[in-house]
Amino acid sequence: MSTEYIRNFSIIAHIDHGKSTLADRIMELTGAVTSREAKAQLLDDMDIERERGITIKASAVTMKYSCEGKEYMFNLIDTPGHVDFHYEVSRALAACEGALLVVDATQGVQAQTVANAYLAAGTGAEMIGVINKVDLAAAQPEITAEEIEHVLGMKKEECLHISAKSGLGVQELLDAIVKRLPAPLDRGNEPTAALIFDSVSDDYRGVICYVRVFAGKLRVKQKIRFMSRGRAYIVTELGKLTPKMTPVDELGAGEVGYVIGNIRTLADVTIGDTITDDAAPAEKALPGYKAPMQMVFSDFYPGNNTDYDKLRTAFEKLAINDSSFSFIPQNSPALGFGFRCGFLGLLHMEIVQERLERENDIDVVQTAPTVSYEILMSDDTVKKIDSPSELPDLSKVKELREPFVRLEIITTTDSIGGIMKLAESRRCHLLKTDYLSQTRVIMEYKAPLAEIVYDFYDLLKGISHGYATMDYEFMDFEESDLVRIDILVNKIPVDALSLIVHRTKAESRGRRLIVKLRKTIPRHQFEIPLQVAIGGKIIARESIKPFRKDVTAKLYGGDVTRKMKVLKRQKEGKKRLKSVGQVQIPQEAFMSILEDSD
Amino acid sequence: MSVENKHAGFNCAEIALYIHIPFCEKKCRYCGFYSEPIELHNAESLVSALVAEMGRYQFGGNIRTAYIGGGSPSILPLELLLKLVGEVVSCCPDVEEFTIEVNPGQVDEGILQKLHDSGVNRLSIGGQSFNKSELEFLGRGHQAADIKRAVSAARKAGFGNISLDLIFAIPGSTLQSWEYSLGCAIDLGVGHISAYSLTYEEETPLAKLRERGKVAAVDEETDRAMYETAIEKLEQAGFAQYEISNFAKPGFQCRHNLFYWANKPYIGIGPAAASYWQGRRTTNVADSEKYIQLIQGGESTIAESEEPNEIEIACETAVLNLRRRSGIDLVEFKKQTGFDALELFADASANNERLGLIEQNEGRIFLTRKALPIADSVLCDFAGV
Repeated sequence: MSTEYIRNFSIIAHIDHGKSTLADRIMELTGAVTSREAKAQLLDDMDIERERGITIKASAVTMKYSCEGKEYMFNLIDTPGHVDFHYEVSRALAACEGALLVVDATQGVQAQTVANAYLAAGTGAEMIGVINKVDLAAAQPEITAEEIEHVLGMKKEECLHISAKSGLGVQELLDAIVKRLPAPLDRGNEPTAALIFDSVSDDYRGVICYVRVFAGKLRVKQKIRFMSRGRAYIVTELGKLTPKMTPVDELGAGEVGYVIGNIRTLADVTIGDTITDDAAPAEKALPGYKAPMQMVFSDFYPGNNTDYDKLRTAFEKLAINDSSFSFIPQNSPALGFGFRCGFLGLLHMEIVQERLERENDIDVVQTAPTVSYEILMSDDTVKKIDSPSELPDLSKVKELREPFVRLEIITTTDSIGGIMKLAESRRCHLLKTDYLSQTRVIMEYKAPLAEIVYDFYDLLKGISHGYATMDYEFMDFEESDLVRIDILVNKIPVDALSLIVHRTKAESRGRRLIVKLRKTIPRHQFEIPLQVAIGGKIIARESIKPFRKDVTAKLYGGDVTRKMKVLKRQKEGKKRLKSVGQVQIPQEAFMSILEDSD
Repeated sequence: MSVENKHAGFNCAEIALYIHIPFCEKKCRYCGFYSEPIELHNAESLVSALVAEMGRYQFGGNIRTAYIGGGSPSILPLELLLKLVGEVVSCCPDVEEFTIEVNPGQVDEGILQKLHDSGVNRLSIGGQSFNKSELEFLGRGHQAADIKRAVSAARKAGFGNISLDLIFAIPGSTLQSWEYSLGCAIDLGVGHISAYSLTYEEETPLAKLRERGKVAAVDEETDRAMYETAIEKLEQAGFAQYEISNFAKPGFQCRHNLFYWANKPYIGIGPAAASYWQGRRTTNVADSEKYIQLIQGGESTIAESEEPNEIEIACETAVLNLRRRSGIDLVEFKKQTGFDALELFADASANNERLGLIEQNEGRIFLTRKALPIADSVLCDFAGV
């Protein structure tokens, strides 16, 4: 098929603006699924995704569409909408020539609308503005169109008004895809270059790569090579997703589909990598490839009742289907053996946590998530650490650098004041403010990632009564006046409770921290001193008083069964804590140290 | 039904008998036991049923201690009570300690004399407090003077073995008011005193009042001080603390309760009564009418039943033994449960020893003095392995 009749496009939008519903509707209208077959939002595979209403993995569907007598091949690539998965979104967009930018007419332009639009523009994708949910009473399509024009420079007359739910305007949208989105370039005669924009590990088929062929072609039995790693594989199966996996003999230039070869694990595949022919390889890899960058780290230790091996097995299982999640063995003098885990962001971490609990019968104690830091040593080498306990002796350190991000907040004008105060308290630096409309504004900050990675989003939502949305992107590591706060529980330094903070906040943060700890660590049979140290010097103390009375007055015949149950529960309760010396520390204590509010 | 017990190698020739009288004049605010107003029931049918249930066993000469508790046994019409006592004496010819619980306002010398002559040789008097406001708060139907009178009457009736129950940490009480009650109790010259911290049992009127904030429990520090004071003062007065809440002058320990704390078998008769018999812990239905029906129908009166396994028995034994100041006797424990306590509870012992809450000496493991007020936090370590 000539590439003239191919259209590769993505749907990008802020969460819940209707991306998946639109994908459903398009698949229905093109006959890819019948309305009876269509389980709502077919593209979301995992239960968790469906539950949380988010797409984690990008997926693709090939459809046929007739327009003015000609048959077109539509390749729709679904994308994750969340800030943590920027890179995946950018690669999915790089696989397309166009993108449908969907905006909810009752919500208007939001943070991820903007973030995704910039990503699309960055890959050169042609965009069509699509205003959705126009049939709702609260819809304000004209105002939304104005915002789109104002913020993104897309002409408001050219935006389509639709209701993905009812199908209103979707037919016209399909025609617009044909007429306004460019066809892929015909580079069939060039050496093979195909972009891997997603991958998944299937129980039966093994590792599956989703690809967009840019040049040349892929054939079954072909020997291919992954250009970033240099490893070669034989193609055992090729196909398209219609949306079911439908094998083909060849995938040509401009086409989208899946590749199965003798690839053993998901870890062998990197999103954004280029597949080429081993015998006649392309000179250069396709642009834009980046190794996934983990931004957030947390240590997981088995709870008193779970063993280390069980935890390791659980992590291995999780990593099979998530190549951006990593875990390495970790040993804490206070907590024993565990794992240091890396995530793309906080949402990614929460998803992994949930899957860990749901799919396994284990208790874990998890340290508060931290970001990584860069250290310029006195011998001019640069070290990267992702845990406060790895901070070397400060006498050997020239510069401590923390990660900064460009933070975008879209909110209503009446919460500007509160948000500015919050941002200021978190060392954010305002870069610019832009009004989307009379009532909405977009604020751009340079923010230290450590200050916003944990509870900033929740506080933002609180201040703005739920209206604010935010997105951030990594900028760089910059020098900062940072120190490490150490906590001693019962005179034992607990490295898992250490925190790296800005010097100006260290003392107040330290004091608040042990007050919080005093409230979350249960009383014991003995007094527990809590101390905060900065640079080895104790700067504050608190104390957890022992409980004074814990005894059953009467224990006679008929009381035995009941009392044994109560005592056993008391004993079990101790297991859900982590022992540090004689002190039992609950999970909440580790997390509570990160809360910067009272 | 023959007298057998599942415990291997353990001398089960001795068992204890408990009989529950589920009637009261009125319910005290804090009471978590099963009892009902006596007017609503046919006491005679109940006592006949109790006798019938006893008849289902063949005690032979194995019952060593008998205990009639409740409820308020002394609310029963005297002839019914005497009938019951008579049955016990005839079923259990070798009983050595026979206790009845009485309320101070419900007995006089005449009644006590008859009880004594029928074979009861120990009296447990529910005094609770010698402070008027506290007695009113608890909802007891008697006055402080009644306690004195009852003890005096008991002596005249021939009782040498008298125990007094006391409650501390009553809302509104102070350390001084508690010391006063203690003093009065000691001055009465009884041989045995039980001192209990007021417990807010689930579903009682008192517990509900506390939940709703209408009643403020005595604070932890004062509660503890009261307990410490009790131990101190009673020791000074010649009482030896032999269990967490129980104090006895030499020779006056309650042998019946010692069965519980030794985790030895016992048989419970009556509605809501508990038994530990033939390896099973059972509880009778907590309903007088239903109980009578079941007895009359020749059916089992058991409402709940559990059969602890070896390990569970070992843990129960350890926890109960540790309630005694003498603690776990390692040789006895091994004989009774088949386990070596030091091995089975190696971690629990070591950890608590390190904290000074457990001590090991002369073949025994026991709670230290300083562990007593927080005993449960130590006992829970022995509740499972």
